[in-house]
Amino acid sequence: MADTEVVRREEPFPATSPGPTVQRIQAPETDSIYVPDVDIYEDSERVRLMADMPGVDQTSMNVTVENNVLTIEGQARVDGPQGYELVGQEYGVGKYRREFTLSDAVEVQGIKARMQHGVLEVTIPKREEAKTRKIKIET
Amino acid sequence: MFELVTWPRNPWSIFDELESLQTDMNRTFTDLGYGRPWRGGATYPLMNVWSSTNGIIVDAELPGVDPKEVDISIRGDVLTLRGKVSAEGARKGEAYHRRERPTGEFTRTIQLPFRANEDAVKASYKNGVLRLTVSRSEEEKKKKIVVEAA
Repeated sequence: MADTEVVRREEPFPATSPGPTVQRIQAPETDSIYVPDVDIYEDSERVRLMADMPGVDQTSMNVTVENNVLTIEGQARVDGPQGYELVGQEYGVGKYRREFTLSDAVEVQGIKARMQHGVLEVTIPKREEAKTRKIKIET
Repeated sequence: MFELVTWPRNPWSIFDELESLQTDMNRTFTDLGYGRPWRGGATYPLMNVWSSTNGIIVDAELPGVDPKEVDISIRGDVLTLRGKVSAEGARKGEAYHRRERPTGEFTRTIQLPFRANEDAVKASYKNGVLRLTVSRSEEEKKKKIVVEAA
């Protein structure tokens, strides 16, 4: 199940909303799908999304936008060390996937994404009309 | 002088030991941020551990840290990982919609099944996963004892 949310400038900031709990879905091909933790920031010029996806490198990362839905998807990989036995496991290795609904305030053509150290950074510029304009108050 | 060292065969009990050690040690994981609770509880970073006769490999999920800022130390058979994660937060002029990624300082200790020196540790950081390879010294390697026929 995907988490869809609206990133809209006029939406009140979620100070106490609990958000979705971590979901772990068993996909039919027995690969687990994890929902990555994200931080979403916004300033007058752009929206910035940071997603934690450890174990994913940029070749196995997919960022797509379709009908104003931004989908981030990545396949984590681990090199199981040869000759070793797994004796303790606290995290699983699988796919990461999450979806977001973008509002009309953003300019999808200008989307940029980069991946470093298991963190995906997506920046989406705002449309000219949507950028905050400072209005001078006349005396 | 011999010291009997027991290493549990149950793959899950390695973390029972880690947990008890953690409550004794100073563990700070400040500011989980807003939004949903971090799935690891107060445990950070999450680790997967492999073992062989040559030593132990620990993989720790640490996306977005500067590996130079992670402090790795070994004293006897105790391995300690310390550092700071996602320190950046909001930039100037930004407001946030969601903050879910763990942020703050962390300290985590795990107990190895053998003693080791700091020069026995090799660390590498790839795609946000810190891999620590701790090799057993010759004295700590298990010796095969031949059972003689009576």
